Amino acid sequence: MASPGDGSRENGEHSPRSNVREQDRFLPVANISRIMKKALPANGKIAKDAKETMQECVSEFISFITSEASEKCQREKRKTINGDDLLSAMATLGFEEYIEPLKLYLQKYREGDSKLSTKVTDNAGKREATGLQVANQPGTSTQVEMKMPHHSSFAHGMTYMQSQTSLDKWDLVRHLCHSVKLIVASFHNFKKFRMVVGDIIYLRYILFVTKCSEKLF
Amino acid sequence: MRQAGIYSGILCGKNGPHSLPLSRIKKIMKQSGEDVKMISCEAPLVFAKACELFIEELTARAYKVTMQGKRRTLQREDIAAAVTATDLFDFLLEMVSASVINDGRTATEST
Repeated sequence: MASPGDGSRENGEHSPRSNVREQDRFLPVANISRIMKKALPANGKIAKDAKETMQECVSEFISFITSEASEKCQREKRKTINGDDLLSAMATLGFEEYIEPLKLYLQKYREGDSKLSTKVTDNAGKREATGLQVANQPGTSTQVEMKMPHHSSFAHGMTYMQSQTSLDKWDLVRHLCHSVKLIVASFHNFKKFRMVVGDIIYLRYILFVTKCSEKLF
Repeated sequence: MRQAGIYSGILCGKNGPHSLPLSRIKKIMKQSGEDVKMISCEAPLVFAKACELFIEELTARAYKVTMQGKRRTLQREDIAAAVTATDLFDFLLEMVSASVINDGRTATEST
């Protein structure tokens, strides 16, 4: 017991989990104090011991809800605790008010899925985004690929190869325009020494379209 | 805590910059019982938001106590008072009172 403030946290007498490292038992104090400040007026301050107490309370809250959800899972003979289990556990334990905002949050998260994957692969090249916009014009089946631009460039090219036969001249013209853009973009990538599988497929596909159009015109 | 990287790489957009680390939430969940073995990827996310709501609510209630005492700094005792005043936070009673008792004892020991 070095100091009065740390006593309860470090020796962990009241906690059965005292053998676990403190950093694993609690959420980071910085994040917690940031959230606490949101709930306070601008001139409000938070003492260090209050932050630490809140850290403990949050961990206790997580354990409390998780135990209830886990029991429910056991009763229903399931092994994985999912989001809905937590929501119903919260409802049982009196946190009904949290359910609506949480549902909204989950919904947003699920909807945001597709946006996010583009965001994540964004640094893989803006080329993908521009390429896909153009690619969408012919109205072929590219909606699925929109979700994950970079890794689906393979599938993307394949879809086009399969749908080639049903395209008319004007589609091919549009595809040619598309190809020009793609070639430019691919060279851009070459410059940066970032040649990837997707680019190879793109180049092959461009050659394929060019050959087709030669036959037609 | 490298694990956080895996999550934040995938989830940074959903999670926002102000939220709580999901890998840590998962760890705390796993510590809460022997039979907690598998957790869906949504569960820590639900908790990230739920904890945010929980912290905000408890802080707001505790700050009311602070204001009643005509102070500006939120202290541990305020949280303890807020917990005792609300049925919803009964599960925290033991811990809050334990830490206060513990605190008192160490204080007397040190004098």
